[in-house]
Amino acid sequence: MSLEGKVKKVLEKYRGRDLSFTIKDGVVFLYGQVDTYDEWVEIGLEVGKIKGVEGVVNKVVWKGFPEEKIREKEERRKKIFEENKDKTVGSYDVLIIGGGVIGTAIARELSRYKLKVAILEKSTDIATGTTKANNGMIHSGIEAPRNTLKRRLNVKGCRMYEQWARELNFKYKMVGSVWLITPRTLEKYRKYFPGPLYTLILKYVLPYVVVLKAWLNGVPGVKVVRGSKIFELEPYAARDTLAAVYVPWTGIVEPYEVAVALAENAAKNGVEIFTNTEVVGFLKDGERVTGVVTNRGTFLCRYVVNAAGLYADEIAEMAGSPEYTIHPRRGVIVLFHKTTGSYVRHCLAEIVLPQHPRTKGGGINPTPNGNVIWGPTAVEVPDKEDVSVDPEEVQLILTKYSTILSEFPKQKLIRYFAGVRAATFTEDFVIRPAKWVPNLLHVAGIQSPGLASAPAIAEYAIEKLAEMGLELQEKPDFNPYREPIPSLRDMKPSDVEELIKKDPRWGHVVCECELVTEAEILEAVKRGARTLDAVKRRTRAGMGECQGGRCTIKIAMIISRELGVPFSQVLKEEAPLFNGYVRGESE
Amino acid sequence: MKEIRKDVVVVGGGPSGLAATAKLAELGYDVALVESGDELGGILIQCIHDGFGTKLFGKALSGPEFAGNFIEKVRGLGTDTFLQTHVTSVERRDGHWILEAVSPKEVIKFISKAIVYATGCRERTPFEILVGGTRPAGVYTAGMVQRLVNLYGLLPGKRVLIVGGGDVGMIVARHLYLEGVEDLLVVFPEPWFVGLPRNVQQCILDFGIPFRPRTIVKEIVGKEKVKGAILVKVDENWRPIKGTEEFYPCDSVVFSVGLVPNASKLEELGADIDPRTRGPVVNEYFETTLKGVFAVGNLLTPFDYVDDAVETAFIAAEGVSKFLNNEPKREKPLPIRPGRKVRLYIPHRIEWLQGRDLTLFFRPSVEEANAKISLKLGDQEVYYTRRPYVRPSLLERIVLPRDRIGEKDGEVVLDVE
Repeated sequence: MSLEGKVKKVLEKYRGRDLSFTIKDGVVFLYGQVDTYDEWVEIGLEVGKIKGVEGVVNKVVWKGFPEEKIREKEERRKKIFEENKDKTVGSYDVLIIGGGVIGTAIARELSRYKLKVAILEKSTDIATGTTKANNGMIHSGIEAPRNTLKRRLNVKGCRMYEQWARELNFKYKMVGSVWLITPRTLEKYRKYFPGPLYTLILKYVLPYVVVLKAWLNGVPGVKVVRGSKIFELEPYAARDTLAAVYVPWTGIVEPYEVAVALAENAAKNGVEIFTNTEVVGFLKDGERVTGVVTNRGTFLCRYVVNAAGLYADEIAEMAGSPEYTIHPRRGVIVLFHKTTGSYVRHCLAEIVLPQHPRTKGGGINPTPNGNVIWGPTAVEVPDKEDVSVDPEEVQLILTKYSTILSEFPKQKLIRYFAGVRAATFTEDFVIRPAKWVPNLLHVAGIQSPGLASAPAIAEYAIEKLAEMGLELQEKPDFNPYREPIPSLRDMKPSDVEELIKKDPRWGHVVCECELVTEAEILEAVKRGARTLDAVKRRTRAGMGECQGGRCTIKIAMIISRELGVPFSQVLKEEAPLFNGYVRGESE
Repeated sequence: MKEIRKDVVVVGGGPSGLAATAKLAELGYDVALVESGDELGGILIQCIHDGFGTKLFGKALSGPEFAGNFIEKVRGLGTDTFLQTHVTSVERRDGHWILEAVSPKEVIKFISKAIVYATGCRERTPFEILVGGTRPAGVYTAGMVQRLVNLYGLLPGKRVLIVGGGDVGMIVARHLYLEGVEDLLVVFPEPWFVGLPRNVQQCILDFGIPFRPRTIVKEIVGKEKVKGAILVKVDENWRPIKGTEEFYPCDSVVFSVGLVPNASKLEELGADIDPRTRGPVVNEYFETTLKGVFAVGNLLTPFDYVDDAVETAFIAAEGVSKFLNNEPKREKPLPIRPGRKVRLYIPHRIEWLQGRDLTLFFRPSVEEANAKISLKLGDQEVYYTRRPYVRPSLLERIVLPRDRIGEKDGEVVLDVE
């Protein structure tokens, strides 16, 4: 059947809705109107599943579609475009739009070569979007479906982390993962397996199905564990666990730390990083992009990499190559205090089939700094910027994961937060030259396991750029190493003493929960942190149990002093922390 | 590394730490007071309102005045105080406690026979009460706001929602009112304010500050900056009532939703923690389950009156003395257990054979008029007293004469009828 025929057949299920479509070079454009947002997602996904579809641009609207908001956004962009299109900032070989873990990884990889490269990031700091609210898991590659790009890059990428961590000096631990098979695993199908058959299947068949899946996906070394061995691996795991599958490759990182390390190393090797720089349009010569217009002016360029995450579809459209629509998928993560670290040794999850639609992919993970995180959930949301947390979702997480770790002290919850995944309807990474703009590379749809795949994504993206004509001449002076900010937490007393002699601020503890000194905060500011949250991501100040209750004011004062901005103007992330002076006091 | 040998190291220079230090110095011990902040006085430094010292000095002082009394005393006694000095590690070695601390000047190793922890409490965060929505700029705790306004002359916002009907929330509401906040609203889940009645009158009613009982914040709204909050009515079990959600526009949300002892460091050190108080498990002299490690003040449980917190410091100082003199303990500690109507209490057990009468503090779990507070040892009622009124928001203090217990075994049960 032709692609047209297949799409038509899928849309027939939605008779009564006013739907139409066009197809161009394998990309399906959907038009019309549906009732609900859920339906909008469902149709997009159904079409995205069709073999041969290379992208779905879902122009269908639903009832309550924020037309006004989108028009305002476009007008705002147009205005900034007009004001800035004639101001040239500079000329670059490659411009990377987006300073998340993908943008910074590509930038760092490109900094090996004799190229002029810049990252354009609309926020006040790098790693403020999807990257910062990720659970930091470096997946092994078993979960990803076969014949997908994400499987290939995941399996390869996770093995590259060790070298990354060594060169870039971020915290990385290959803790491995343990998947529990319990009486709940196939609860829904229990009726088909009478009596002892159910347990036998769970104990002796299912584990090997997982091992087979791993083998087919290219993940070796996966082991089946039974009996007391399970509890040697995970002493607090559910007592009714029948079998477990151990995967050695799984690792953990702090995702924002990875992005910060990549950005710092890229900058050291000559990449320019422009924060507070929002892309509002493109200058074109025929099909080719010649310049990227931002609120800072126009960046002339030879190549553009679209690593804009949640906004990749808007960037693609502005550039003239709309090939996908992002459907944001929000995930909530719950974080526990460091004193809970002893309860979990591996990335821990219970296999339950079919997967719960809102919690699939989630689990219990240790973090490199000794905390424990539960989640994330997965909920489709219409608004890309919707990082709000529904308290019921927190409850759902707390209830769901309690079954596999019942003794865990849940009252030690210290924070929860939401992040939004930038999924496309084809549910795979989109890393390819744009179909209708020859010097634009899409690096879009980087959802889970994007972080785990990041090193391989960067390599792959550069192969693509080379195919597009970018010449790669190695720099002899490329330095792959990045020094971390020294941390009082990890220091021997003699080291601290030496540092205090040089600068007394190494002995001034500002964040008591996480043991962060004034010198560490100064170093973060020196390395480019401009906001409270940027300092937090680089030093952990404010990440402890009081959640900044005691140190926020102190840190704000340091930032104010160092940057020479009024105390009341110090930013949290995008907005000032405080409002203004009390009655009777002048600025 | 500088080594300093002491009889006792007091960790924390707030009112309780100061009181413990002063008392120990008076008893003739060589004490070091270690404070991580820039100055002594703890939380009282930012409490410019009055009401401190009514029990201890018979007058209502401001926070800094109250603290000043003890600071002068400690200075007068010539005690070694270490400011901006943060204890980074503690361990037991060769019968001594070794505390490593850093300051801008140096790294110090204290070698001490005993430790008094006076690390106070922290504010509960919005996360601990499961408030949904976002966390933009404009979300604060009450203590942070108090500091901001009183010490730095900064306002959190112009339209402020205060969450919590306890003393701290009420006091902050008054401060913000006086400093020019245009719109204020106080919400809390209880049917009425839970703080001291004098604060309800003097902080809220006198100024006509609006408030809504039986109301909680369901969600905070705003991506970068607070735009408002979704309020919802709750039933008597604090469950949200569907359909009563309401968007309240504001630019700041201030949480005053309780205090939690700063006991994590003690917990990491291996001290038993009471899940009720979330502070350490202690004996009648406020010694923790670690030998020679005492805990005082709000680290035990947040006190309503600083005067009571200070009393625990005085008692603990005597305990340190007993510990250093190797005074005999019972063969087995005599546990104190809560009855049905006791929400939390300290101390948790009686360990010494002899000593002063026992001061107990507790919060009832229910409101009760004409309440009888009793202590039973086995079937025998060893003590009782009456109060016209008890309620969860008031921390009760009772004193049990030690001779009523003697050397008897069993367990003591504290209850309210």
